[in-house]
Amino acid sequence: MVVISEKKQVVVPGDLLSEDQSSAGDGTYVEDGKVYSLRYGVFEKVKGKLKVIPLSGKYIPSTGDVVIGKVIDINFSGWNTDINAPYYAFLRANEYFKRVDADELSRHLKIGDLILAKIIQIDARMRIDLTLNEPSLRALRSGRMVEISTTRIPRLIGRSGSMVNMLKRELKCDILIGQNGRVWVDGTDENVDLAIRTIVKVDEEAHTSGLTDRISEFIQKGKEKK
Amino acid sequence: MKKEKPDFIVDGKRLDGRRPDELRPIKIEVGVLKRADGSCYLEMGDNKIIAAVYGPREVHPRHDQEATHAIVRYRYNMAPFSVEDRKRPGPDRRSVELSKVSRQALEPLVMKEYYPRSAIDIFMEVLQADAGTRTAGINAASLALADAGIPIKGLVSACSVGKVDDTVVLDLMKDEDNFGQADMPVAVSRGKITLLQMDGHLTQDEFHRALEMAISACKDIYELQRKALLEKHSKISFAEDSAKEEGT
Amino acid sequence: MSSEIIAEIKKDYMYNLIKKGERVDGRAFNDYRKIVIETGTIRKAEGSARVWLGDTQVQVGVKMQPGEPYPDTPDTGVIITSVELVPMASPSFEPGPPREDSIEIARVVDRGVRESGAIDLEKLLIAEDKVWMLFIDIHVLDHDGNLVDAASLGAIAALLTAKVPNKRYELGEDAALPIRDIPIAVTAADFEGQILLDPELDEERIASTRLTVISGKDGSIAGMQKSGIGTPTQEKIEEMVDIAIKKAKEIRETHFAEFLK
Repeated sequence: MVVISEKKQVVVPGDLLSEDQSSAGDGTYVEDGKVYSLRYGVFEKVKGKLKVIPLSGKYIPSTGDVVIGKVIDINFSGWNTDINAPYYAFLRANEYFKRVDADELSRHLKIGDLILAKIIQIDARMRIDLTLNEPSLRALRSGRMVEISTTRIPRLIGRSGSMVNMLKRELKCDILIGQNGRVWVDGTDENVDLAIRTIVKVDEEAHTSGLTDRISEFIQKGKEKK
Repeated sequence: MKKEKPDFIVDGKRLDGRRPDELRPIKIEVGVLKRADGSCYLEMGDNKIIAAVYGPREVHPRHDQEATHAIVRYRYNMAPFSVEDRKRPGPDRRSVELSKVSRQALEPLVMKEYYPRSAIDIFMEVLQADAGTRTAGINAASLALADAGIPIKGLVSACSVGKVDDTVVLDLMKDEDNFGQADMPVAVSRGKITLLQMDGHLTQDEFHRALEMAISACKDIYELQRKALLEKHSKISFAEDSAKEEGT
Repeated sequence: MSSEIIAEIKKDYMYNLIKKGERVDGRAFNDYRKIVIETGTIRKAEGSARVWLGDTQVQVGVKMQPGEPYPDTPDTGVIITSVELVPMASPSFEPGPPREDSIEIARVVDRGVRESGAIDLEKLLIAEDKVWMLFIDIHVLDHDGNLVDAASLGAIAALLTAKVPNKRYELGEDAALPIRDIPIAVTAADFEGQILLDPELDEERIASTRLTVISGKDGSIAGMQKSGIGTPTQEKIEEMVDIAIKKAKEIRETHFAEFLK
């Protein structure tokens, strides 16, 4: 058993983090008054709470999250989608942004289509309901999508959107970020290509310092190469 | 072709030169597959094992799902070429039993309540067998679970103990297993026992000594498992550091 | 299964690239992904090979034991090829008896080994009514496309480095298998007229047709298999065959040079 004292250290499940059970935060558990890691991840102390941020793992859906889903099945009442979570999510026909007939659902969204949707409900049976019926939500019919680690999404967005806005501006691309680790990009072929490479770089280096400057440089270098 | 029973312990050394309380060499690599959510390749002596985890994911068939927690499934499988006499593909009674006890060795550590109505699937393939495959598999599966990001209370460490030539020995190899007097696989996690089986004959005193030996060895195995997880991350960090240098 | 459904925009992107002569991973149409072959890693097996074809990974083991010949070929050894698509290799592989995919791969690899005459089966006769049974078992560990080429490479690599276990059965000293040829499988995928070699997973999902051609050292064809519901023309097929045979020669010379002397 190891007692961790350094922040930003990688820990494994079962590592002893503290003897003060009131400090237990996300990614930890308490046993016999002591706090242990529940995850293989990075240990952090935030406002007195000990957290372990997982290095890997599925997206855990939460009501209100905006996600990018892929349609995998259609039945008479709506579309079943994969949202990179342990569960599928369902878009009911009446949550589409306009009226659709039950027998022409596939005309509006077919299998393989991507949507930017919002989670409106998760019931006790883990049935996740989506909606497209809000102004910013829609089907994504062009562009490319890339999947990154769910835990890096906040870094990709940046404080008040600083990182993603910088990317949109510098790369002249449309960028939509799903809480479920999926990022959609649209623009010219070259710009989208550089955008995707940049997003992957942010994913890989999210926990390091000086990232914003390095990303800025990376983009400049990428543009010069043309 | 009947093999003659050799002397197992000569001058305090076993057939492969080990002391009675010595483990075979262990080699571990975490994250070796692309498609699986988590994976681990592990060697213990001549055992070559690969374990992988998918999940949490939707349960198929749906009627197997549990309303309040994830179901944990474990499949122990041996490749046909893993043993001396080729084994027909497919599960047999032995692999069904080993799958069950292995699952129960890991299940107590999994936070199943976090993911109701889902499945956490653990698959384990024996590529080469040399006695102790189920315990090697549990060691690899623990790491595959961590690699997949499944919340677990701790890693599970396992090894076998047994008796040959009236001596309690650690980590039986194949000949010791075939001709020995007892074989006892043990798995330990956070000081508690999650797997215990015994085949053969032991006095109560021998059992006590064997269990002590196994628990102590499991502590050593735990350190190697932990190291393997930290190494995997440092490899990623190293790649980032060199990428950083290239970028500047 | 949801894991097999490819996003529409990904399909569009891939087709656009192909029109420009490009592929998602930057390869040329005729390029294979990185091939790594490790032989002899499973010491208990008479022969073994681990193959990485890009991220596709297979482990092949060759086991031999004496047995009864088939009644219609009493003087020749027996080859039995099996493929296990174990559940860890893909979210869409379920445990259970072999499905059509695994049986097809096994039979195609088997054909290549058998019809090329790669193994001189008559030299596998031990005594009257006793021949060597040769089990080629292919364990697919990670599926990232083009399993048949990876399986076939593993099979021939394992066979070339296998040792007939004569000693164990008191038949003399261990010896190499009597191998006369090095059959190489090359799979080409057809995308609306464009031919791409070694399709990776997504390419496999969107190609209408795949053609696997197994050829020997002298460029003759030892096996073929069309897969998929596309309907290529004769010209297209002959073009694919030509490309495949040339590629097979290249792969043979790169990875099996020591066996060509």
